[in-house]
Amino acid sequence: MRLRVLMLSLLSMALGSVAAHAHAVLDHASPVVGSTVASAPREVSLTFTQNLEADFSSVRVTDANGARVDQGKAVVSGNTMRVGLKSLSAGTYRVRWQALSVDTHKTEGSFTFTVGGR
Amino acid sequence: MLCSSSCLRAFALALLFVALSAAEAFAHCFVGPRFLPATLATDDPCVADEISLPTVAWSKTGDVPAATEWDISVELSKRITEDLGISIGDTWSNIHQPGGFTQAGFGNLETALQYQLLKNGPHELALLLELVVEWGGTGAVDSGLATPWSTLTPTFVFGKGFGDLPDSFGWLRAFAITGQIGYQIPTRSFDVDSGSFIPQVLVYGASIQYSMPYLKSEIRDYQLPDFINHLIPIVEMQLSTPVANNLGNSPITSGTINPGVIWVGTYFQVGAEAVFPVNHASGTGVGFLGQLHLYLDDMFPTTIGRPLLGGSSAPPQQVKF
Repeated sequence: MRLRVLMLSLLSMALGSVAAHAHAVLDHASPVVGSTVASAPREVSLTFTQNLEADFSSVRVTDANGARVDQGKAVVSGNTMRVGLKSLSAGTYRVRWQALSVDTHKTEGSFTFTVGGR
Repeated sequence: MLCSSSCLRAFALALLFVALSAAEAFAHCFVGPRFLPATLATDDPCVADEISLPTVAWSKTGDVPAATEWDISVELSKRITEDLGISIGDTWSNIHQPGGFTQAGFGNLETALQYQLLKNGPHELALLLELVVEWGGTGAVDSGLATPWSTLTPTFVFGKGFGDLPDSFGWLRAFAITGQIGYQIPTRSFDVDSGSFIPQVLVYGASIQYSMPYLKSEIRDYQLPDFINHLIPIVEMQLSTPVANNLGNSPITSGTINPGVIWVGTYFQVGAEAVFPVNHASGTGVGFLGQLHLYLDDMFPTTIGRPLLGGSSAPPQQVKF
């Protein structure tokens, strides 16, 4: 019984003093990761599990030939990062992102989406 | 005068306290886009700031009739620099014989000095070298739960995710494997009390795991329930084979195969595995292994979750594509 109380106390101390920061992991994206969309999206929006440092987080979108199709610098607001897209034709596009959470944990990832049901 | 086992334990705990008090740091096992969770039965391939609190195991021994064994372990891993880490752990065991006789007490303290050889993000590959030391005489030697001699186990650990396969491999890219191989050398070659040789042992293991978080964020988001998207089904295997100085002892390989699942959260993970002995020498029936594992680097990013040395708070380089 004493052991159980001690363990629960330690755990509550640990969890109770936790700062609200951690690795920023991709929670969801638009277009959805791996999806096929009927019409070309105007932007890519990435939502993370933590708030981001705007100056140290970035995203780029490329076509099947590796040419960039995004419109440049991403806009970061809280835990969301958005970048505008050029006019996309049918095909598969890759989104690569790097993120730095507000407590300096760095994460990265990539995924594809397809326009036009090819 | 030599220190008693309680003295050594107090010294180790004091070291642990110093480490926790003075620390500064940040990251667990991210390799590029891949997160490799802390495995329950084998080592994972990253230095880290983490604590397993606790790991609980239940099993039946291979004795006839079988005894029931409970093991409760705690292990702290702490980075000294970005690539150098230490860990310290101990296990309390309770072995209940069918006749009513019970042995209970701590095993020897176990420490590890770890060096991160490689982290290759694009290939999701992590390599680690470690020297595991079990400190003889620091546990319940009189109860037979610890040995008066120490063991040294230089060990190589690796982890590899398959996200670098072509996109055409689809959902298969969410698989990853980890593995370890070590050579355990006792500091004595002969046990006078039992009149037997103390073998040198090859200690090895592996895991194969399927990352639902990776599937969701890198391959395809099937819009599954959030709980499912945090799961990493896993099968672990841990084995040991006496390979030298084993005259008169059994040469049999022993170990377990553990299918289970790990739920990965932001600040902690919870794992549960069934434990299947590979032969009768390894145990009887199906056991259980469970673990609560806390990510100190995420829980305390500005204090005890940072490396002791070199973990400056200077901003990282600006990201440029």
